[in-house]
Amino acid sequence: MIELKHISKWYQVGGKPTFILKDINLTIKEGEFVSIMGPSGSGKSTLLHILGMLDDANEGEYHFMDQPVHSLKEKQRSQIYKQHVGFVFQAYHLIDELTVYENIETPLIYQNVKTNERKAMVADMIDRFNIVGKKDLFPTQLSGGQQQLVGIARALIAKPKLLLADEPTGNLNSKQGEEIMDLFKQLNKEGVTIIQVTHSEKNAGYGSHIINLLDGRIEQGN
Amino acid sequence: MIKHYIKIAFRNLAQQKVLSGINIVGLSVGIACFSLFLLYAVSEFSYDRFHKNTNRIYRIVEWWQGEKREPGGYAWAYTPVAPAMKRDFPDVEYAVRLKGSDCLVKADNKVFHTSITFADTAFFQVFTFPLVYGNTQTALQQPNQVVITREKALLYFGTANVVGKTLELKTDTTFIPFTISAVAENIPANSSVKFNLLGSFEHIANDPMVQQSNLNWYMTIGMQAFVQLKPGSRLASEQNRLNLFRRKYYPDDYKPKKNPTKEDLIQTSFRLQPLRDIHMNPTIEGGNDPKNIWILITIAGAVLLIACINFTTLAIGRSANRAKEIGVQKVMGIRRNQLISQFLTESLLLSVLSTLIGLLLAEGLLPLFNQLADRQLTFSISRFPELAWLLLGLTLLVALLAGSYPALVLSSFKPIEVLKKKIRIGGSNLFTRSLVTLQFVLSIGLIISTIIILQQIAYMRTKNIGFNKENLVMINTERIDNKKIYPLYKQAIQHNAGILGVTASEMGLGAGEGQMGTGYRDYKGELQGVIEYPGDYNYLHTMDMHLIAGRHFNPALASDTTGAVIVNEALVQNILGTTPEKAIGIQILNAKGNRGTKTIIGVTRNFNFEDLTHMVRPQMFYRPAKFQPSRIFVRLQAGDPGSKLTLLNNTWKQLAPDAPFEYSFVDEKFDNFYKNENRWSSIAGWAGGISIFLACLGLFGLATLAALNRTKEIGIRKVLGATVSQVVGLLSKDFVKLITVALVLATPLSWYVMHNWLQGYAWRINITWWVFALTGAFAILVSVTTVSVQAIKAAMANPVKALRNE
Repeated sequence: MIELKHISKWYQVGGKPTFILKDINLTIKEGEFVSIMGPSGSGKSTLLHILGMLDDANEGEYHFMDQPVHSLKEKQRSQIYKQHVGFVFQAYHLIDELTVYENIETPLIYQNVKTNERKAMVADMIDRFNIVGKKDLFPTQLSGGQQQLVGIARALIAKPKLLLADEPTGNLNSKQGEEIMDLFKQLNKEGVTIIQVTHSEKNAGYGSHIINLLDGRIEQGN
Repeated sequence: MIKHYIKIAFRNLAQQKVLSGINIVGLSVGIACFSLFLLYAVSEFSYDRFHKNTNRIYRIVEWWQGEKREPGGYAWAYTPVAPAMKRDFPDVEYAVRLKGSDCLVKADNKVFHTSITFADTAFFQVFTFPLVYGNTQTALQQPNQVVITREKALLYFGTANVVGKTLELKTDTTFIPFTISAVAENIPANSSVKFNLLGSFEHIANDPMVQQSNLNWYMTIGMQAFVQLKPGSRLASEQNRLNLFRRKYYPDDYKPKKNPTKEDLIQTSFRLQPLRDIHMNPTIEGGNDPKNIWILITIAGAVLLIACINFTTLAIGRSANRAKEIGVQKVMGIRRNQLISQFLTESLLLSVLSTLIGLLLAEGLLPLFNQLADRQLTFSISRFPELAWLLLGLTLLVALLAGSYPALVLSSFKPIEVLKKKIRIGGSNLFTRSLVTLQFVLSIGLIISTIIILQQIAYMRTKNIGFNKENLVMINTERIDNKKIYPLYKQAIQHNAGILGVTASEMGLGAGEGQMGTGYRDYKGELQGVIEYPGDYNYLHTMDMHLIAGRHFNPALASDTTGAVIVNEALVQNILGTTPEKAIGIQILNAKGNRGTKTIIGVTRNFNFEDLTHMVRPQMFYRPAKFQPSRIFVRLQAGDPGSKLTLLNNTWKQLAPDAPFEYSFVDEKFDNFYKNENRWSSIAGWAGGISIFLACLGLFGLATLAALNRTKEIGIRKVLGATVSQVVGLLSKDFVKLITVALVLATPLSWYVMHNWLQGYAWRINITWWVFALTGAFAILVSVTTVSVQAIKAAMANPVKALRNE
């Protein structure tokens, strides 16, 4: 599903490149549940952003479902991204001005899904996540765990093949965290490929595969 | 403490370069506009205050009041009245009559056209016009003495020291030598009493017309009269004394009439109008309406208000970013009024900076403004001392107006809530929205008004006014022997190539030309004025005025110069109450109701000889037997008039070497009717342009803040798949809504104002819907463009950056 070849990312600092990712080679198959681990500043988030097509690499090739993402135009890339990728953030990043229902609906609006269809899809999702009673509340009226649940619902609403999560339990207490991880496991069983960045060994354990990053390189031996 | 405030204020200005820039540019432009109009207003209200005895000087006016007539006064003075007042009232210290006259001046063998004012000897006792050379006691003692202004002395002689030199003046038919007795300092622009040359009233005392008017107390010869009262006199408010005076000399006014007509019921009285009041009292002929000044000040105030609103909305919009600073200061124990002081220091600093820049800007724009206002104004604190404190007050007012709302709101934040980031104030609260809407209501209203005024001007310029005013030259032949020269001149030029016709009239045409009229009885027995045009036989023909009944004048018929008249449709309709065909042969009733000697031989189509605020009034054309034209009209072939004008000039120099060749184009004279309208359209246009610029400047700032405050939201939406245009739409939507509301409010408002304005025109355009649609589209386009600049920048930004730091 995903193939990275010689991916590097750097910033120019005082004329010299400072590497954030250096020569990353990586293959992820459909249906895998991968955890990316590593200390702060090792490049985990950047790697996740590149995988999610939110950021470009300076060098290397990125193939997503047999498409050469690195050489695609912005428009085509955004098309692939909208159809196949969902994002979950550590800080949830819900839009404060919109209700739970509207937050979940937003990606569908940007994909030009018709109103009726949209209603049905959002209703299904709200049902499935057991948040029917909260659909008219605003994000600030929810607890952290509930907000993250909405964040995941929003990421899944467009039925993506790939779910990217940047420390999804980082702002939650352990019980809430477990619930989210159980949900990920469940989603993975249903066929969604998941890549998560995490600090926690325990959370990483939910996955089928762990990638360790150190100073922008993948540590071998696992 | 104040030093501390100023330091923080400066740092804040320096830190927020874009916002400070917007504020300073906006406020400076607003202040520049306002101070120009302020200067104009101050100068208008300063008229005639420079005389030492201003408060004791009054003008004699004749006041008319009647059942069917709005009260109003005329500044004409019957010749014997002023001396009689001096005689009869012990508290009249001096009386001065002023009689102006056109004249030709010969100095150093050059001839100029100018005007001379003849005044009684008390002139310099009453009015304070300092002399550069000469003595006020003796300047007007001899009948052949003349006082000249410095400006004219320099023009005629090249030097100001001309006392004792001789000028030859022609006010009638011959040049008469005058000795220059004094040179006066140039007349201040804000003086109602003006002169170029000042002669003694003695000089014209023996003129037959003046003598006649001295005996006939009802005869006016275009004279003004002033009295200076002794200190403590209250004559001006003692109307009963003035009425007794009137009764003594005009006993006929008080005799009851048997069958009073409308005019007989008008009560006439003398009044004394304070000199200070002359320039700004519209109820007396020639006075200006102060309403116009207040309208101007209001427009300028609106522009300034828009700039102040920018400051307020931007400060509120930025409050979210400042909330933390305020929270920390509050935790450290700052009191609320100290915070308010700090914010007001900031706005005061900005206001002072902007006033300085604004005054420089105003100084630079002054020539343009003077042209617009038709004045020669200067920012002179010595001439207008009140300007100093007005500007100081303006600076403080701007600081308070712009700064007080943000100061109150920002200082009221509760520290714990601020630090916990519970407060969310964006650029989107109701107050800010209303202010932005107000800005656009004002701008859109001004633009709509400008377009409508321009439409009306274009309509008046291009309307077919009933004769051909294009390619028509009018030559001023005042003060030359026209009986002799006009036929010779006509003979000399009429057969040249490019000259299509030559005619003459005793009356001019267009703005600034006088009119002559007489009263006639209409078919209902009422008295009506008829404007008369004594002209040559071919006058109507040369003017391209068309007859709709009857015939033209025939030089072969002697009777055509004694009683034949051609009248216009308006006369036929209003006075005769009949049709043009039936009017032929009718003799018109004169004022006394008798069949006169005037027989109608033709009826011409109405033509607009006045500006289009008037309906066409009754008119009469005739060829007098003793024809003394004062204007020659030459119809040129279309095309470059240069060579033809040279011909006209050269011929003139041969025939009338003693008189300057003064000509004008009749179409320009008609355009001059609309000088005021042109001025108003320029003022509204400038104000509209500046205000939309300022409003957009504010909008740009608000869009910047909106994008800033919504950085995170934009980032999330982009991650969720929003395209650039969707984000731009999101950010622009709110602003477009505001402007749409503004348009909805501005439309009826400006329609109402302009509808009323148009009522002042007898001939006017209809207000069309597309003016509003066009202005609305323009406003939305401009503002969306402004907002888009920021919105696109925000939409193009990489969302990762917005979402990274947590």
